[in-house]
Amino acid sequence: MTFEGKYYNGRSSKGMPAQITLRPDGLRIDYCADEVTDTVHWETAGIHQSEFNDATTLLRYGKFPQQSISVVDKGFREALLQCYRGAAFLKSGYNSMLRLWASGIAVMALSLLGLLVAFIVWGVPALADRVALYFPQQYERQLGQQLYTQLLQGYQVDDAKTAALNGYLSELDTDLDYPIKAAVVKSDEVNAFAIPGGYMVVYEGIIDKMEHHEELAALVGHELAHIQNRHSLRALTRSLSYYMLASVLFGDISGVAAVLVDNASALRNLEYNRSLELEADREGLELLRRNELNLQGAVLLMERLDFGSESDMLAFVSTHPNTGDRIKVLNELIGDRKQPYKKNPGLERHWESLKGRNKTKGSDTLEQNQTR
Amino acid sequence: MTTTLLEKEKQTKSFTFTGRGSDYFAIEIVNFLLTVVTLGLYYPWAKAKSLQYLYRKTELAGTPFVFHGTGKEMFVGFIKGLGVFISLYSMLFFAALSTTPFISVLFVFAFIVGVLILIPVALHGMMRYRTSRTSWRGIHMGYRGELSDMVTTYLVGFFLTVFTLGIYGSWFVVKLRKQMIDNVRFGNASLRYVGDGADLFLINLKGYFLSVFTLGIYFFWFTKNLLHFYVNNIVVLQDDGTYSRLKCHVSGWEVLKLTVGNIFIVLFTLGLGIPLTTTRTLSLIMNSIVMSGDFDADALVQTEEAYDSAMYESMSDMMDIGVI
Repeated sequence: MTFEGKYYNGRSSKGMPAQITLRPDGLRIDYCADEVTDTVHWETAGIHQSEFNDATTLLRYGKFPQQSISVVDKGFREALLQCYRGAAFLKSGYNSMLRLWASGIAVMALSLLGLLVAFIVWGVPALADRVALYFPQQYERQLGQQLYTQLLQGYQVDDAKTAALNGYLSELDTDLDYPIKAAVVKSDEVNAFAIPGGYMVVYEGIIDKMEHHEELAALVGHELAHIQNRHSLRALTRSLSYYMLASVLFGDISGVAAVLVDNASALRNLEYNRSLELEADREGLELLRRNELNLQGAVLLMERLDFGSESDMLAFVSTHPNTGDRIKVLNELIGDRKQPYKKNPGLERHWESLKGRNKTKGSDTLEQNQTR
Repeated sequence: MTTTLLEKEKQTKSFTFTGRGSDYFAIEIVNFLLTVVTLGLYYPWAKAKSLQYLYRKTELAGTPFVFHGTGKEMFVGFIKGLGVFISLYSMLFFAALSTTPFISVLFVFAFIVGVLILIPVALHGMMRYRTSRTSWRGIHMGYRGELSDMVTTYLVGFFLTVFTLGIYGSWFVVKLRKQMIDNVRFGNASLRYVGDGADLFLINLKGYFLSVFTLGIYFFWFTKNLLHFYVNNIVVLQDDGTYSRLKCHVSGWEVLKLTVGNIFIVLFTLGLGIPLTTTRTLSLIMNSIVMSGDFDADALVQTEEAYDSAMYESMSDMMDIGVI
């Protein structure tokens, strides 16, 4: 079979009229340049893969500079397919995909979208958790220490209360892999947060709101659970991996930079997800149980934080959504089996010195303020 | 009079884009799937495939362009680019972790300098790689620019732009385009960029204010003006001293229809339709560009050196990281 086409010799852009003949061992190209005719042979093995052809079929041959032919004839392509069935230069994974078109591709597109969504919803958090859990404790502690020092720079630490809080913590019977270091900072903000590696910052404002030391125990238990289960590290790796994913998808690099540079404040405002919060609540309750304290302390803490007036939207609550739900869960966990509880003079002593200047009178006025 | 006009018309060579949205969509969806399944490693091969398709469907005077780049070559660049990015980011990470402010500032400074140098290096690498892997009728393009010139042009332009509060930006863009385009060879023909910074400045000034006054509607005409400025100032010089010029006929109204259509496609397909917007955009732009003048399509002669697969190692500056 013979086809008409153009031959380019790879040295000049001049297209030479050519007759292309399909032979079993390859193509025979008879071309005509400046009224001189000549012939070249193309072995099938030397022809480059040729994809995405339309009405025009373009074939290239050999090493640089490549020769090429273009044939404007749909029959040429069919003849090639017949003559050189299975030859490497005719293979194209994409062409077979194109034949699938319509239904096949639509199904694939949808399943792909599903896959992507599944990866984002389950894959990324799972991977991030893995990374966070395998993070060496020693580095975590180093990182935590730096964040802790960095954060405290912006606050005034109350030394007396800090000593009392640390005393309280050492008196508590805990089961932690981390030595705990806590600080009470002077601020009216009702807030407290855990830093990876065993550090905790409690604001004076939240201590002022509390009336019973069991509430403090519940709060501390909650934060310790965050530390023990590496919640902040997990949340950090999670948000980092989302930023990275987004930056890969959209080619934006500033997102990752923002998280990295700003990690201290990012950590402060990290939103743990609901399941992590509930886990911390549950383990905080467990701490009360272990120390034989009144379990109602946890519920009281929640209720007290929930009744903050609208104007001073309590930071602790605003970053921990669904207080109502959490109280419900806590009540379910406490359940009917009333656990006997004891007074704990050791803890109470530290609690008193932590409250120090705020005598009972102070908390009375606080309650009056709240009910008003 | 009539004869000269006719003669001129005879010399017009047009660009065409014959790619179809559905075909390109099929290619991109396969690319995307394989990239996801291989956790991103397939990306260079995917990029090679889509470039091969887009080049093959772009024709000048009825002959398509060919992209010779391969996934393997791009993978090397991809890994290098990744390495550079990781080292740059580790600087930021160190800066964030360091307790001494001096060290922090030092690392942030190193990061900024690194990014500033990375951009011209990547531009240079991209020009070298893309041109050497592009051919038309068997004739390869090439890039003769020096890396040091590119870096100097970029850094000087960048700082002048900062010092003049952005005013120099228009001249900077033109300088950069001159650096890139003037060094392109197309066989024995070469390209020239003849745009003027002052013209671009006026286009930007007018575009900015009119866009504000018309609540953004003028933006599409602004885009059209920019497109015309970039395309219409490209001149192709041939060996015998003859030259021809690119001309783009896109109207502001067409840009508006294209942009609004693309936005709707992306929104309603949740991003799946992005390949369709690519083919729509290319077909509007390419189909409206002609080359008018004395371009002799038969007179190009191969001038590029042969490259073989071992050469990509020496193309260490090839970093296709999507800066452009």
